Amino acid sequence: MKFVHLADVHLGAVPDRGYPWSQAREEEIWESFRRVITGIRENPVDFLFISGDLFHRQPLARELKEVNYLFSTIPQTRVYLIAGNHDYLKKDSPFDRFEWESNVFFFKEEELQCVKDSESDVYIYGLSYQHQEIAEPLYQNAGPNHAEGYHILLAHGGDEKHIPINFRTLSSAGFDYIALGHIHKPQEIIPDKIYYSGALEPLDRNDVGIHGYVEGSMLDGKVQAEFVPFAVCCYQDIRITLDEEYTQIKLEEIIKNKIRNHGRQHIYRIFLDGFRAPDFMFLTERLKNLGNVIEVIDHTQLAYDLDALYHRYYGTLIGDYINHFRDAKPDSIEAKALYYGLQALLETSR
Amino acid sequence: MVIERIKINNFGKISNKPIELSEGINILYGENESGKTTLHTFIKSMFYGLARQRGKSAKNDSYSTYEPWENPTTYGGIMWIRCSGKLFRLSRNFHKMNCFEELVCEDDHECLDISAGDLDAIMGGVSEAVYDNTVSVGQLKSVTGGELVRELQNYMASYQGTGDNSLNLGRAMQMLKMSRKGFQVQENKKGKAVETEKEKLSSNMQFMYREVEDLRGQCADLDEQERALLVGVDESESLAIFDQRIDLAKKRWNRTAAILLGIFLLGILGSGLMLVLGMGLLSSLPIIASLLVTLAGSSILSSINKEIRRRTIRRDKWIAKREKMKWTQGNMKQSLKEKETAYQNLVSEYQEYEQNEQGANVSRDIAAINLAMETIEQLSANRNHQVGENLRRRTSQILGEITGGKYREVLMDQEFQMQVNTSERTIPLSRLSRGTLEQIYFALRMAVGELLCEEPFPIILDDVFGMYDEERLASVLYWLYKEQKQVIISTCHKREEEILLANNIPFQRIDLT
Repeated sequence: MKFVHLADVHLGAVPDRGYPWSQAREEEIWESFRRVITGIRENPVDFLFISGDLFHRQPLARELKEVNYLFSTIPQTRVYLIAGNHDYLKKDSPFDRFEWESNVFFFKEEELQCVKDSESDVYIYGLSYQHQEIAEPLYQNAGPNHAEGYHILLAHGGDEKHIPINFRTLSSAGFDYIALGHIHKPQEIIPDKIYYSGALEPLDRNDVGIHGYVEGSMLDGKVQAEFVPFAVCCYQDIRITLDEEYTQIKLEEIIKNKIRNHGRQHIYRIFLDGFRAPDFMFLTERLKNLGNVIEVIDHTQLAYDLDALYHRYYGTLIGDYINHFRDAKPDSIEAKALYYGLQALLETSR
Repeated sequence: MVIERIKINNFGKISNKPIELSEGINILYGENESGKTTLHTFIKSMFYGLARQRGKSAKNDSYSTYEPWENPTTYGGIMWIRCSGKLFRLSRNFHKMNCFEELVCEDDHECLDISAGDLDAIMGGVSEAVYDNTVSVGQLKSVTGGELVRELQNYMASYQGTGDNSLNLGRAMQMLKMSRKGFQVQENKKGKAVETEKEKLSSNMQFMYREVEDLRGQCADLDEQERALLVGVDESESLAIFDQRIDLAKKRWNRTAAILLGIFLLGILGSGLMLVLGMGLLSSLPIIASLLVTLAGSSILSSINKEIRRRTIRRDKWIAKREKMKWTQGNMKQSLKEKETAYQNLVSEYQEYEQNEQGANVSRDIAAINLAMETIEQLSANRNHQVGENLRRRTSQILGEITGGKYREVLMDQEFQMQVNTSERTIPLSRLSRGTLEQIYFALRMAVGELLCEEPFPIILDDVFGMYDEERLASVLYWLYKEQKQVIISTCHKREEEILLANNIPFQRIDLT
């Protein structure tokens, strides 16, 4: 038996609002979900586990219809679904009353429920958020029944405000597989046993790295699971260490090449460090036009030899100034102030 | 600290030249281009080395300018300096392939470490910047009176606030302000983009809100219509009323039919009875009468029937209409719900966006520039506080001494305009002669040297007395002699020598040729 474990699809989210690629990303999130279903249609699996936050906010009836339609195209696959903190179950919401296809089971209660799969000895456990925040550790005492078969828990949360989880207790509770949702970074908590599948598509600049879902199989009483990279887009960092030879055009060319090599569909944060010539005042805004660049973080320092300058200007204002910021931590406001002030003092001196 | 002896191996156009210096006044006489500046640069380079610039600027740096044409590998020399009673020998070779530096105490025969700061210690911590501001005194560059006043003002202000006359705080602040402006423009642009996005979201919200309101209104209208349709208090009562009416009609029909049947039977019975009694033809009368009555009655029946049919149709129509209305109502309620959810989602979207964008706006660069400006201002104020008043007092004192008491005090008014005080009145700088301005400048430079260098340092006066008349020159030279300073006066005139000789002031003459 095979399964796919998804979470945090966040249908309806608008990533990076205000940036040029925002709308395309909104569509890509739907598109990726659709591709997962298409993939299952072509290579059927027995189970699709969705561990919460399928929707970014309260789902609209038409969105539910779309999703339900997609599920109807994979009739051999049994879909098990819980609501997370984003799409939490409001009383009387369309989510609450919706009539799903016969191959879909939606856990409605806020306490742990167990259902037996209609076609196999697989028991699925889950609960849905009915509130935006749940501080009680609802999975603390969770444990499977004693029936013969596989026991699978769908769980959502794991931080202070969203059902804190103690993985040590949970891992010894007796479940064969725990499909986690809520944390957007894919994580293997215990190999072949506990996984955060992570968000299917990254949603904002904090979701750096590869995204996708978990694919697994249940055979002879053993579960095997594996992360599958799937997202079309990836937030990634470009780090460039400058030296005194850099110019605006050189910097732009290097960034352009890197973006071309890594892929123009991705979204980048550019980190600059190292040293730049004191007369090179670069224009960070221009770097943002070189691709999907969401942020330019400039930690470069002017190529001043502080010790030598301090030595040279000891006893004058410049010496005082260097001394004043002597203990500034790199990347602090003080360090920036040191270079700005020093630059102004040196460049305007006769 | 005193420079006792110099030996230039090879530096610029000077080669293999030993120079003896006295502890007091030294006159370096030479025509233009005779190497006076070369000697000054040599002395400074012996103290601080001859750093090479990188890249393009290397072409015109001091290293290239003074690199000797012949025997470039012996680019450098030796300087003997006396400090706290001990004699030190400082040797350097500046050549890039042959770099060498050595500091030896000739009394103790001890080798000292320049890179560990031993030379700094001998020099009393006078940094290169301080050296530039104290040891070597050049001419005032300005030509016209107004410029000269400004230059002198700037000197005073920058010494008081920065200890470095090459600094220009005003321009530095201006530059910082310009960079800040750049960041602010960037920030405003971003702020505007965020505003636009927020407006977009909020107009979506308004649109959705209106939709919700419209639907609410329509729902209320439908509710109203539904109520109007009712015959009774509610649906079941209304239905009961319809049914009751139909029932009544049916009952009426039954009753009428029964009566008619009764009459008909009575007629048959009557006719039969009369036939038995042998009433002949007459006996057909009752049956005919009852038939007539029944015939008339059946038309009543059919009208009742019609009524029943009518009432049934009306009821069915009513039911159908209600069902249709309920369906519409249900639909509308559902889409109201949908729109309400959509509206709520938009509200959360707006709030989250607002939250995310808050704080992201405070630029670290602007904060850093502000901090830089505050710090510069504060440090300069500190310096002014420590140095400013002492500098003014010492400058006044020296000025008094070299002008024979004519000008006793240098004053700064609230706008930092300099004035001098004679015993009778204060005079703004702009009203003083060039010669007097040069004297103030000299007094200021001497005072700066004393305040910034703990250890007395030799002073190099590079052609500064050009604008002095005989009397002023004599009093300045006398003052230098009296203060027992080691000075190197470079000049292309013979006046200094003549005045010194005439006044019996001892001096050492240095010839470069």
